Amino acid sequence: MNVSNLTIQPQSAASNVVLEARDVAKSFGKTRALVDARLELRTGEVHGLLGANGAGKSTLSRIITCHVKRDAGEITYRGAPLETNSTRDALRLGIALVAQETTLAPDMSVLENIFLPELGRPGRLSFNALRRRASEILGRLGHEHALPLDMEVRRLSAAQRQLVEIAKALALDANLVIFDEPTASLSPSEVERLFDIMARLRDDGRALIFVSHRLEEVFAITDRVTIMREGRTVANAVPTTSLTQSDIVRHMVGQELNTVYSHAPAAVAGVVAPVVLEVKNLSAPPAVRDISFSVHRGEILGLGGLVGAGRSEAAEAIFGLRPRKGGVIKIEGREINPTKPADAVKAGIGLVAEDRRVQSIVPDLTVRENLLLAHIGAHRGFGLGYAQREKKLAALIKSLDLPADRLDANLLTFSGGMQQKVVMARWLLLEPKVLILDEPTKGVDIGTRASIYGILREIAALGVAVAVISSDFEELLGLCERIVVISDGTSIADLPTTMLDEEKLTLLAAPRTSTARNTEFLRKLTADFGGTAFWALLEENGVICLSQTSATTDIDTGLRPGEARELEATRIPSALRQRAPSFVTEAGYATLLLPMRSRRGSDLGWIGLTLPADGSLPSPDIIAARIAALNAID
Amino acid sequence: MSTNTSTAKNFFSGLTRRLEIRMLGLAVAIAICLSILSPYFLTANNIFNLLDQSVVIGIVAVGMTLVILTGGIDLSVGSVAGMTGIVLGLALQQFPIPVAILFAVLTGAGVGLVSGILTAYFGLAAFVVTLGVMAIARSLAYIFSGQTAISNIPEAMSNIVYTDVFGIPSNVLFLVLLYAVAWAYLTYTKGGRTIYAVGSNKEAARAAGLNVLFYSILPYVLSGALAAVAVTFSIAQLLSADPLGGNQMELDAIAAVVIGGASLFGGRGSIIGTLIGVFIMVMIRNGLNLLGVSPFWQGSAIGSIIIIALLVERLVNWRSGR
Repeated sequence: MNVSNLTIQPQSAASNVVLEARDVAKSFGKTRALVDARLELRTGEVHGLLGANGAGKSTLSRIITCHVKRDAGEITYRGAPLETNSTRDALRLGIALVAQETTLAPDMSVLENIFLPELGRPGRLSFNALRRRASEILGRLGHEHALPLDMEVRRLSAAQRQLVEIAKALALDANLVIFDEPTASLSPSEVERLFDIMARLRDDGRALIFVSHRLEEVFAITDRVTIMREGRTVANAVPTTSLTQSDIVRHMVGQELNTVYSHAPAAVAGVVAPVVLEVKNLSAPPAVRDISFSVHRGEILGLGGLVGAGRSEAAEAIFGLRPRKGGVIKIEGREINPTKPADAVKAGIGLVAEDRRVQSIVPDLTVRENLLLAHIGAHRGFGLGYAQREKKLAALIKSLDLPADRLDANLLTFSGGMQQKVVMARWLLLEPKVLILDEPTKGVDIGTRASIYGILREIAALGVAVAVISSDFEELLGLCERIVVISDGTSIADLPTTMLDEEKLTLLAAPRTSTARNTEFLRKLTADFGGTAFWALLEENGVICLSQTSATTDIDTGLRPGEARELEATRIPSALRQRAPSFVTEAGYATLLLPMRSRRGSDLGWIGLTLPADGSLPSPDIIAARIAALNAID
Repeated sequence: MSTNTSTAKNFFSGLTRRLEIRMLGLAVAIAICLSILSPYFLTANNIFNLLDQSVVIGIVAVGMTLVILTGGIDLSVGSVAGMTGIVLGLALQQFPIPVAILFAVLTGAGVGLVSGILTAYFGLAAFVVTLGVMAIARSLAYIFSGQTAISNIPEAMSNIVYTDVFGIPSNVLFLVLLYAVAWAYLTYTKGGRTIYAVGSNKEAARAAGLNVLFYSILPYVLSGALAAVAVTFSIAQLLSADPLGGNQMELDAIAAVVIGGASLFGGRGSIIGTLIGVFIMVMIRNGLNLLGVSPFWQGSAIGSIIIIALLVERLVNWRSGR
């Protein structure tokens, strides 16, 4: 890789390095967010910064923009050490951040927002001059007329706000712009437009950092990538063209897999337990689009995915904390329609929310009262009715190992793990049918973590249906029997843990901007030609099916959406192996496999169409043309 | 062994850790100062006087405590007292006393219900809603009364105040009972604990399945009703209903609740603390009158004492690291 690096940049590779970070370390309390982070950024490049949840990408970005102060390490910027610790200084040096959750003032106009940093400077502002500069900047972005300068920012779409953020960075004449997950709220065509802008900035000689989970987009826009894992840089400034999607995932996940959880939980043998919670096509826009899953009695189901995939929002929608637009929720076969948490509690659901301090803990009540809070909600009488729960409470305190002598203390003085146990006990006291836990080990020390896993297994063994939301894939794989993968607000896979590893899970969870459009495309394809159409990623010996639709039931490719298979385990191995631009016939099936590329030429996977071999086959060119048309800009 | 002294020490520091105890200490200190400055202060006559003066403000402060515990505020109590007083005065012209009182109390509760729904259901800021209601209620008080006090109140009304039960004036007895009931409600019932939970962390309370909406509205209803009860006692004493009645009562009530240790952010405070706060307010006023301090200076004195009490409280909390 270094060799190819040298051939691409034969001379003065070092001279156009704009920023170099070495041995950067940062801890938040006991958590070590960064251990040994490195980054080398050149002018005129888009540099991908990748990593799993919690790998340290955001922390590193925020250290570069001086939002966060580093504990150790050196950062040189344009040859001089970067030693400021105020964001204003960083802005003056030309380092700007285009954040995912925009930092705009919603009540101010586009113009005022673009020049917001100017308001912090002394002197009088000339609005006419600012207006001229704003039009000039937007013109450079190719959006001179798309953004009315006087419009209030709150009335703009997500994409337009992103544009304002970028204009704001340009107004500062930033040389280094960090894009932190900029595409999360954009549609495919908006993403293409953003990439055009980024390419233009790169060609202007600026340095861009692109932080993203989206592998497709990384390949589409970046020149080099740096991959982080657990606070370390594990691949430093590698040219993107020398990598494949699986290479990146391997770096993100690491090799030392399955060491902590050697025991995969035994699959439930024999009789399948009855379904307790069934969720079908749940939607609660914008975060939750189409989520379906079911949890059986005595089972621990994992809801996996990336931060922001819509898992917490789905749990909140089920629990009545968030309005639902569609979908069916059933408890033991009976449909429920919770509009407030009290309804869900009555139906037998408990939710241990992600943010304990905000969503669970009542700071002015004692530990005992916090334990009994859900009881008070469920209690029908006028008094407190604590007596009726006394026995159960004593048993829980014992089994959860809570300090019985500190029940009158303030819950905030307890450790994170202990707080979590109290919140769990709050629900267990009501003997729920379903317990949903959102990131149950967040901010919990390792020791208590193990005991929480033990408690969850015990609860499940007692017949409670348990659903665990976690961004820690290792945790999900170790704890759960089955995992439903959620990406971009949609449940895309439902697999037993035995079929998964961290790598496959990461690949499945990576949001794909093109998912909805491609699935629709497959539907049209089968409507016109019959048979079965699929969208898949191909590796040397394996295939990961992302989506599949069938017009008939008699064609079985052996692929399942959201599942990874060995090529030989499918019914169409030759076609998948040959990848020829024509129909390959085998075992009564004829399969056409065509690559799909975005307008910028990045790899979006493969589209396959399997038809009965004895029927008439359409011309491959027609289908190739359709795929090409799909990816032309709309 | 030193366990005895250390437990005593623990007991003492446990006591001082409680805000009510510290404020009770403040109240006692004020009482001692005033009794030294004025020989008349500690006479039986003046003590009854103090209790009598505590009744009206004390009743209003109970409702204010409930509202503040949920993280709200009710600026309208004074005006609602003025308006319901006029309603009572007019009703007494046509109905028997109990019916007239019930009518006034229901009117107060109704006004509170409106404030409660506007803040809890529609999510408007309590400060602004009750500020608006304050203006409306005062204006209605003038309109209903025709801008003059209603003075032909039946003599029998005064029985409400001056009937002695076991040697205690009925209005003082009512105050004691009201505080006992309010304390029991806040400590031992689902509703009381829900009010604390809502004020302390509304989101967590909702997520735990508590009825946040109902218990956010209820305090305003009770606050409005209690404002009417308070003005009933005041009219019974004066035998006159004034449209200006209850003027600035909200300030005294809020001051009493805050001196009693409640947090204006909700979730923290107690009914006993409020009672102590009421006594502190009344004692200061009474003492300044006894000492012959000009009424124009009294506002400055009371305001300073409130601010100093809270400042000391904050400094104590900083030192103990809270």
